[in-house]
Amino acid sequence: MTSGIDLQGSFIRALIDLGLSPGVAKAIWIPLPLLLMLIGATIGVLVVVWLERKISAAAQQRVGPEFAGPLGTLQPVADGVKLLFKEDIIPASTDPWLFTIGPALVVIPVFLSYLIVPFGQNLNITNLGLGIFLWIALSSIAPIGLLMSGYSSNNKYSLLGGLRAAAQSISYEIPLALAVLAVVMMSNSLSTVDIVNQQTGYGILGWNLWRQPLGFLIFWIAALAECERLPFDLPEAEEELVAGYQTEYAGMRFALFYLGSYVNLTLSALLVAVLYLGGWEFPISIDWLTGLAGLDPATPWLQIITAALGILTVLFKTYLLVFLAVLLRWTVPRVRIDQLLDLGWKFLLPVALANLLLTAGLKITFPAFFGG
Amino acid sequence: MLKFLKKVGDYAGEAVQAAKYIGQGLSVTFDHMQRRPVTVQYPYEKLIPSERYRGRIHFEYDKCIACEVCVRVCPINLPVVDYDFNKATKKKELKSYSIDFGVCIFCGNCVEFCPTNCLSMTEEYELASYDRHDLNFDSVALGRMPYKVTDDPMVTPLRELAYLPKGEMDPHGVPDGERRAGRRPEEILEELEGAQPHS
Repeated sequence: MTSGIDLQGSFIRALIDLGLSPGVAKAIWIPLPLLLMLIGATIGVLVVVWLERKISAAAQQRVGPEFAGPLGTLQPVADGVKLLFKEDIIPASTDPWLFTIGPALVVIPVFLSYLIVPFGQNLNITNLGLGIFLWIALSSIAPIGLLMSGYSSNNKYSLLGGLRAAAQSISYEIPLALAVLAVVMMSNSLSTVDIVNQQTGYGILGWNLWRQPLGFLIFWIAALAECERLPFDLPEAEEELVAGYQTEYAGMRFALFYLGSYVNLTLSALLVAVLYLGGWEFPISIDWLTGLAGLDPATPWLQIITAALGILTVLFKTYLLVFLAVLLRWTVPRVRIDQLLDLGWKFLLPVALANLLLTAGLKITFPAFFGG
Repeated sequence: MLKFLKKVGDYAGEAVQAAKYIGQGLSVTFDHMQRRPVTVQYPYEKLIPSERYRGRIHFEYDKCIACEVCVRVCPINLPVVDYDFNKATKKKELKSYSIDFGVCIFCGNCVEFCPTNCLSMTEEYELASYDRHDLNFDSVALGRMPYKVTDDPMVTPLRELAYLPKGEMDPHGVPDGERRAGRRPEEILEELEGAQPHS
């Protein structure tokens, strides 16, 4: 496996050649990928919002947004601008500090989690050794923010929504972590890049989906619950709780929640793609194809094509999963809170534990297939 | 032990069945995606109201004899009829007539009972206004004819389901002259008259 394109190295070298000191060159580089990822995540949200509205419309035999831009593609932008210009209201009897910090605490960890999402061998912000564990840790911060905003709103619906969100996030975190643990056990690493590398080489056959079908299902169900997507959208169930913890929010603060939920959906889909669907790995192994064509994998133009194809593959898998999430939204009815907790504790948790045990056993029995 | 295993097996079976049903549901939702939208893109496309449509009421001033039957049959005595009694001719002379469409429930009783047919239902349904008092139509406003959907160059008129040709389910792209399914009212009438023995 080649190391692929080293953007960081070549960028810093170019700056040093221009006459800057290595320290300055590195300092100029550092914010660039962060900024790029922030912009990427935000644009990703716009795309997901548009997709959600269009796919929902198609599933209900409607047309959906049509007039804002071609095919309504500018509709999410219009929504965002509208929320930006709305009055920023803090209701009189709220706790202004908690009320303000709440949404920020929900959004920041989600964006921070993009640190560990790899789009290619070197196309990620950091290749943390802690990788996937960082995401699990960060996603546990969000319920605190939800609880904060629910509690500070001084509204019964908000409080109930916040409590439900906290209960839901806490109970689905465990099967989620256990499903991830099984994958981690196979790849002997918490790093997302290593997890993808362990799946590469055999095209679609090497993906974790085949070795962890149960884990995939558990992870997907738990991720949907973490994102508060429709079968599990109890915290903001509009028929019962108006809008849950979002009830008292308006303008930019509400936009933060909205943004956060869709960034979270994209992030979960990205992580499913990385953990189970081989990340940037094309369904047919590129290395094998280039070997067949007799090309050297280190050829510059080939590397660029491979990297671009890798990014496209990750995005394609991600949006396929987002599509599935939207389709699920219009297929599955909302569960009750007791059913939700039942599913989390009495079904997913034991199944995830059994899956972990099975993976450990298989790893010892067939080290060649399940990571030695 | 066996009992426990059976329990686990049953539970797994139920889970698989649930997954199967969710899969079936997903395929239904997926199938809907390739169907044509059934919505009417309202300000640009409008349905042609049926001939029995009960819209805003039309009033012909000259036909009215100020008998006030419409007021009596109205569930809330809504029409306001103002008249003078002309002692020389011994007839009522109508001064003004008004109906408040903010209160009217469009039941059509007044139209049904009017002895001179001076009231009739139109197909007008776009009665939105900024002030509810604007909905109180006087005899002049009541005498205006509604703007027909089929005459509006800005609007694509669409036929309702019952007025589409046989086998057609989608009003889009059905040619104007195309005959609707079934017999037309005048044909039914003709047949009825033909069947009746002339006396």
